[in-house]
Amino acid sequence: MFPRARVLAGLLALAMVGASLGASAAPPAPKEIVIGAALPLTGTFAREGGYFKDGYEMAVKEINERGGIFVKEYGKRIPVRLILYDDKSDATTSVSLYEKLVTEDKVHALLGGYSTPLIQAHTVVPEKYKVPYVNGGGASTAIYARGYKWIFGLLASIEKLAITLMNWIASQQDAGKLGKPLRIAIAWENTSHGKDFQKGILDKARASPDRFVIVFDEPFEIGSKDFTPLLQKVKAANADAWLVDARIADAILMQRQLTELGLYFQVISYGPRGTEKAIRDALAPAADYIVSVNWWHRDLPYPQARAFVRKYEETYKKPAEWFPALAYETARVLFKAIEQAGSLNKAKIRDALAKMDMRGSIVVGQRVWFGPNGQIDNDYVIMQNLPGRGPVLVYPKYVALGEAVVPIPRR
Amino acid sequence: MTTDLAILLVSAVLVAGVYATMSYGLALIFGVMKVINLSHAGAVMLGAYIAYVLIVGLRMNPFIATVLVVPPLFFLLGVLLERVFVRPVRKAPPIASLLLLFGVWLMMQNIAYIIWTGEVRTITTPYTMMRFKVGEVPINVNRLAVFLVGAITLLLLHQFMTRTYLGKAIRATAQDSTAAKLAGINTDQIDMVAFGLGTALAGMAGALTSLIYAFDPNFGGSYMLKSFCIVVLGGVESFLGVALGSLILALAEALSVLWIRAGMQDFVSFVVLIVALLVTPGGLPGLLQKRYAVRPR
Repeated sequence: MFPRARVLAGLLALAMVGASLGASAAPPAPKEIVIGAALPLTGTFAREGGYFKDGYEMAVKEINERGGIFVKEYGKRIPVRLILYDDKSDATTSVSLYEKLVTEDKVHALLGGYSTPLIQAHTVVPEKYKVPYVNGGGASTAIYARGYKWIFGLLASIEKLAITLMNWIASQQDAGKLGKPLRIAIAWENTSHGKDFQKGILDKARASPDRFVIVFDEPFEIGSKDFTPLLQKVKAANADAWLVDARIADAILMQRQLTELGLYFQVISYGPRGTEKAIRDALAPAADYIVSVNWWHRDLPYPQARAFVRKYEETYKKPAEWFPALAYETARVLFKAIEQAGSLNKAKIRDALAKMDMRGSIVVGQRVWFGPNGQIDNDYVIMQNLPGRGPVLVYPKYVALGEAVVPIPRR
Repeated sequence: MTTDLAILLVSAVLVAGVYATMSYGLALIFGVMKVINLSHAGAVMLGAYIAYVLIVGLRMNPFIATVLVVPPLFFLLGVLLERVFVRPVRKAPPIASLLLLFGVWLMMQNIAYIIWTGEVRTITTPYTMMRFKVGEVPINVNRLAVFLVGAITLLLLHQFMTRTYLGKAIRATAQDSTAAKLAGINTDQIDMVAFGLGTALAGMAGALTSLIYAFDPNFGGSYMLKSFCIVVLGGVESFLGVALGSLILALAEALSVLWIRAGMQDFVSFVVLIVALLVTPGGLPGLLQKRYAVRPR
């Protein structure tokens, strides 16, 4: 008995030593998960950058109130520390700030900035250093067509925006509201954004020649002082629909001059623009019936989207536009990826992002996943300015809150 | 077809009014001081925002705000800029004032971002969408008003420069600063007045165009390139030349769209600029002077 007891005691002691050795082999949990981003907080995109800051901070506050992100590897929740820098809306500054975040601040993961030119420039940094990166502020195909493996984005492509617009027009044709084939005039700002828009429209028109005929297709310079010559050419093309990819200032001038010249179209869209307050205020009745295509809208009928809108507007006393909504969801997607990776290992977080399938999201379609190029491919929403009601969600059917008025009534 | 062409021509003439209003100030300052005022774009932008505050915030009549209130305010701003930034570097190589005024422009832009953010603003007045027709040609009241103010400003400037002592002193300084000084003209004071006047014209141009175009703190930058083109074309020391240069540029841009894509309008502007620099380095007045000069027998 005696030797047996000694053997057992010895085994027990060995087991205890082994257990303690095992415990000390696991790395100690870090005090915090460091996530960084550079946003345009001053300069050209200061307004949008400010909204992104709100969205990121709101998401970080929420997760930290729950104790942080649960990381299985450490068996505990670890709080998030967000480092935000101001890139002054400058691409060179943005690149150097992302370098600083990676090399000096030693972030575990990165959140994106805002606007295609800045994102296109600074995404070389996470790709070079192999740091997982998610953005909600850049949609241009140029960002995702470089074969990068570490870059993910929550904005569907501009081509998809144009395709959604064409799909909606097709639905109006099927409802007997628009004729076939519809004569379409397109104009697009002379940028990668505009070219993506043009490509989406042309691809769709080529695929359905029985539905669409492109009768005018021209780029224009941003900030033009007079669209009369362009509009005179459009008039000569005798189009039924006027589809444009423009910024707010150009959309305002174009629509004003179009109204002055007395041009009539059955459908008018300025791509992602046309239903903003700035445009409705500037154009008054001339803004009626303009259709816009957007990534998100505060009226989306999802409980989680409504909850976000309520909380955001209570906290920041500002209307919940798509900028803070997408920023908030971008941060939540990154947190989810870290949790699913169960580790702070960058490659594991990147793999979790690539495999991401987040349900119950506030984005259109309530689901976040990424294609092989790292870009989401969810639906857009279409809104129309209706007299006396302002912008109303009209498409897709599963989120529509009203019926589109097509063709536009003649004034 | 005739109507379409008439619409294009009328539109080009109205745009020429905008261009000319934007360029007088730049031409005046360069003419007198030989300083390329890069803060001109900032003054144009601030003019738009001050008009916004007066018209939208204080509900002031747009005409009073843009023509009577903004120019005196910007005259004072110009005087201040000349005293604080330009005068200390007058003896330095031209690059010093060029860079300094570029810095002033950036400063103005950032002040605008801080006060008004980057949001696009517009001023909507009862006349914003108002138009009338001459035959089949629609004319926007706002654009016509800007054109008329531009034309009246040209006449007043011409009268001021040719009929008043101060105007003559400005011209004398522009032609030969040393000779003007020898004739007893206080050229330092003339520089200050010229910079003030140029900035007042830029502020007024910004205020007037804010009635037509949406604007943000980047407003004015795109006009700078066109204004340079116009000033080179029109001759740096002639207001009539500036008006003529504006008309030529606006016509070239509008009519070129009949043959090339609208996206190439800026290309047309710069072709005009290059041709002007190569063919008539002294601008149109220089060319005319050369053409009709009395040749010695």
